Amino acid sequence: MFKKIMCVLMVVAMAACLFAACGDKKDGGDTKAEGKTLLIGGTGPLTGDASSYGISVKNGAQLAINEINAAGGIDGVQLAFDIKDDKATAEDASTGYDALMDAGMKVSIGSVTSGSCAAFGDKAAGDNLFFITPSASAANVIEKGKNAFRVCFGDPDQGVLAAEELAKNYKNIGCIYDTSDPYSKGIYDAFDAKMKELNAAYKVQSFDAENKKDFSTQAEALKDCDVIFTPFYYTEAGLVCKALVNKGSKALVYGCDGLDGIKDQIEGVDVKVTYITPFDVNSKDEKVAKFVNDYKAAYEGKEPDQFAADGYDAIYAIFNALQKSGFTADDLKLDVSEFGDKMIATFTDPSFSYVGVTGTMTWDASGACTKAPQVVEL
Amino acid sequence: MIIIADGLSLGAIYALIALGYTMVYGIAKMLNFAHGDIIMVGAYVILTTLQMTGNPYIAIAASIVVCTVAGIVIERLAYKPLRGASPLAVLITAIGVSFLLQSVAQLIYGSKSQAIALPDFGKITIAGNHIAVSTLITLIVGGIIMAGLTVFVKKTSTGRAMQAVSEDRGAALLMGVNVNRIIMITFAIGSALAAFASLFYLMQIPSITPTLGSMPGIKAFTAAVIGGIGSIPGAMLGGVLLGLIEKVCLSIPAISPYTTAIEFGLLIIILLVKPIGILGKQRREKV
Amino acid sequence: MAGFASNFKKQFKFKYIVSWVAVLAALIVLIILNNAGVLSRSVTGLLSRIAYSIILAVSLNLVVGFLGELSLGHAGFMCLGAYIGSFFANSISQSIDNKLIVLILAMLVGGVVACIFGFIIGLPALRLKGDYLAIVTLAFGEIVRNVFKNLDIFGGAMGYQSKPYNTKELYIVAFVAVIIVLIIIQNLIRSKHGRAITAIRDNEIAAKAMGINVTFYKLFVFMLSAFFAGVAGVIYGHFTTPVLYTTFSYNYSIEILVMVVLGGMGSINGSIIAATLITIVNFALQSKLSGDLAALRLLIYALILIIVVIFNNAPAFKNIRERFSIKSIIDSRKARNAKSQAKISDDDAKWDRIESKIKNDTILTPDLPHSDAPDESDSKEGK
Repeated sequence: MFKKIMCVLMVVAMAACLFAACGDKKDGGDTKAEGKTLLIGGTGPLTGDASSYGISVKNGAQLAINEINAAGGIDGVQLAFDIKDDKATAEDASTGYDALMDAGMKVSIGSVTSGSCAAFGDKAAGDNLFFITPSASAANVIEKGKNAFRVCFGDPDQGVLAAEELAKNYKNIGCIYDTSDPYSKGIYDAFDAKMKELNAAYKVQSFDAENKKDFSTQAEALKDCDVIFTPFYYTEAGLVCKALVNKGSKALVYGCDGLDGIKDQIEGVDVKVTYITPFDVNSKDEKVAKFVNDYKAAYEGKEPDQFAADGYDAIYAIFNALQKSGFTADDLKLDVSEFGDKMIATFTDPSFSYVGVTGTMTWDASGACTKAPQVVEL
Repeated sequence: MIIIADGLSLGAIYALIALGYTMVYGIAKMLNFAHGDIIMVGAYVILTTLQMTGNPYIAIAASIVVCTVAGIVIERLAYKPLRGASPLAVLITAIGVSFLLQSVAQLIYGSKSQAIALPDFGKITIAGNHIAVSTLITLIVGGIIMAGLTVFVKKTSTGRAMQAVSEDRGAALLMGVNVNRIIMITFAIGSALAAFASLFYLMQIPSITPTLGSMPGIKAFTAAVIGGIGSIPGAMLGGVLLGLIEKVCLSIPAISPYTTAIEFGLLIIILLVKPIGILGKQRREKV
Repeated sequence: MAGFASNFKKQFKFKYIVSWVAVLAALIVLIILNNAGVLSRSVTGLLSRIAYSIILAVSLNLVVGFLGELSLGHAGFMCLGAYIGSFFANSISQSIDNKLIVLILAMLVGGVVACIFGFIIGLPALRLKGDYLAIVTLAFGEIVRNVFKNLDIFGGAMGYQSKPYNTKELYIVAFVAVIIVLIIIQNLIRSKHGRAITAIRDNEIAAKAMGINVTFYKLFVFMLSAFFAGVAGVIYGHFTTPVLYTTFSYNYSIEILVMVVLGGMGSINGSIIAATLITIVNFALQSKLSGDLAALRLLIYALILIIVVIFNNAPAFKNIRERFSIKSIIDSRKARNAKSQAKISDDDAKWDRIESKIKNDTILTPDLPHSDAPDESDSKEGK
């Protein structure tokens, strides 16, 4: 009975929301008509378990946008950047995509995580919207259409690279992977295939999202290995390192780009960590040093991780491509698909390359990025 | 052997959390879904005070105080207005409180996981196996708390009032028990237990995120139900059992991806065999 | 025949059909608006989400509100529907060209598979009560998720690559499904069987004593509810790709429960309204609070949840609620008109919202009437 009053309140709220949604659309129309800003959209996990990755990408990308706008934008056009929260789910990425399209998005950085980016890419393929994802590394993310590109390494490449490296240099190899994470599973599958091809034996342990805190069992099983391959993110890898040390293991922890950011997780822990990454925060490179300083200045002294660097590079890659394609304010009148074709043509042009904080990148028609991996040892 | 030790130490953590769950359920008759997030609050308090003072004992004391106060405040603001309303409404509010605590933690501390270095108590060797002293401490303290709680509930007047409220709230009220006060004390004790749980959790898993409490919370809830919800020794037993099952499953590579399914599957089987949990009290249905 | 007609006339009341007629009217308006090009993309996408949320909320209400058993595993049935339905749709899409027929068949298959699991979960429901049943359903939901995550045939951790249906048309199919579900449920709860189900909720032992087949009805309600959740899952699978196991966590089950509780236990219309509003609020929070503000999203949602629940349920606010409720406003107008006298007939019961004598306390605490509950204390069951 008394639920009714809530109904009234909520109906009012609903009407307000619907009107707000309509109002949104008009806003998008206005910006289009004025032709002063180019909207770059994206989605990422800004709340929930995976939010630290999404927030890093958001910060890195926003830094790049601010720099470009402070330098006058491109042909007098300012860049606008909007990233919607998708909680790393597919349906929220779809909804975010629709909202961004209504707001007049022309170019996108896709989604931060692989699962969301598959949903985002599926919709973007239908519209031929150009997107370049900073960090969604699963193989299927760029397979949906020719409009999909990425900044980071693909998962299978990293797995193969790691398998070759480990099989060549080490005897007693162990591996832990996360069965619930597309990133980890993707790398592991490629690693496993390559190891079998190389006839190299290794011990394997796994965990999943429900059991990703306590690694004593896995550490116990692998404590006698010389090297342990850890294809997942730094949060869990830090705990794995501590569990290994607790078990008295002297193994080297060997990981992929997800381990970037592990340094402050394992402070004071006696463990050797090596990982393949395109981005090294301590690099002497001038561009990287400038990025790290600017990032620290903008975000209360926080050190950028690889996600932030990827986000930064994604925006600058788009910016450089716009410059190279001879972007003018008139191009804002193009529709999404025409704009996308123009961007795709520029990115797949063999002469186009971009030197960013994660290395020198070139792209082929598949959308995969070619850049040199660095090996960081801690 | 070493798996059993690992399982025991994980189980001890589940057991401590489950004790809090079961206390609150037994007396206030509500599923406090925010209990896991109190643990998260405790963990962040330990982290902050440890950074500020460097003294682990002050950190532990601060965490117990803050958790207790937080428990009382939450009870007063979110649950007390609903006294007498449908328990489902209280359940939903508890979930709201859980979301609230998580988002506040994210706003204050950010979402990146933070490492924490608690003092290491070293290891001892039993029959050739290294066992961390912190594991033993967790188990011993868990046992002491369980015994203490049982004595408290059975012997003190407040404890007996709790039993009375748990048995029949209306009759307890008529007998002069201040029901609101008893429920508040229950929440205070439950939250203080959560502070202990957060300490032992951090000793084993030294990393803090805003969502730290949700999965252990659900596992502990499961443990409490396995043991018979409302029963203090049951919560302890259920927690240890669950920790052991989890570790044994994880140690067998062929079934380790299905660990969660096996844990919950066992729960269903146990409940089908014994519908009130292992040590639960049978309630007769009145007509 | 004439007898039937008059009987029909006597029994027919607009409030019996108001829910699905309102949805139908809304759908027609939306189709017209969409053809006129007024609806933006995000609104058509939102409509599909609203549609499957309504099906989920209404079907959960069957279990929680009408049967009186707490279920925290509704997302598990949805998960089954989403995976199985999308898998089925992908496998038959080569042989059947018409996408609509594929979708409808997928809904049936996804629903039936979920229904079978509803039967399996219904079995413990015969033995367990209250929180114990709740934890079993929660466990079921987590098991389903865990198993799908590890099955490579369903894409494993990468999620299953379903083929999304055209968003601009999906909402129409989805809303037609909503209307069918509403008609089925409204007719069920007004029938003999519906009365039997609510009788079980109000007092299982008394219902048994009256010769009601409790086993049959409990299983039946669980299966029907699971079937509808499976259908909602298939719609979800056609709304977005990939179908990822992460979506169907216990948090989602709880969100569906929130819709049921806010809408009112045992109120179909309430569930529809609450499901719509919660989906819209979530959508609005997501699209408005982007970038730096996103951290506030959960905070605002949590505050809305707590405040609305406390306002709606706290005994302290009872007077305010009653003074400003729609019903009291209508009643006072009626009183002013003073013409309509209260007629008492058999059919005056409100079948869209059947009040339970012992209130919802029974769901969580099987034998413990809350003696400090201020209202309805006189109508409490006799000991």
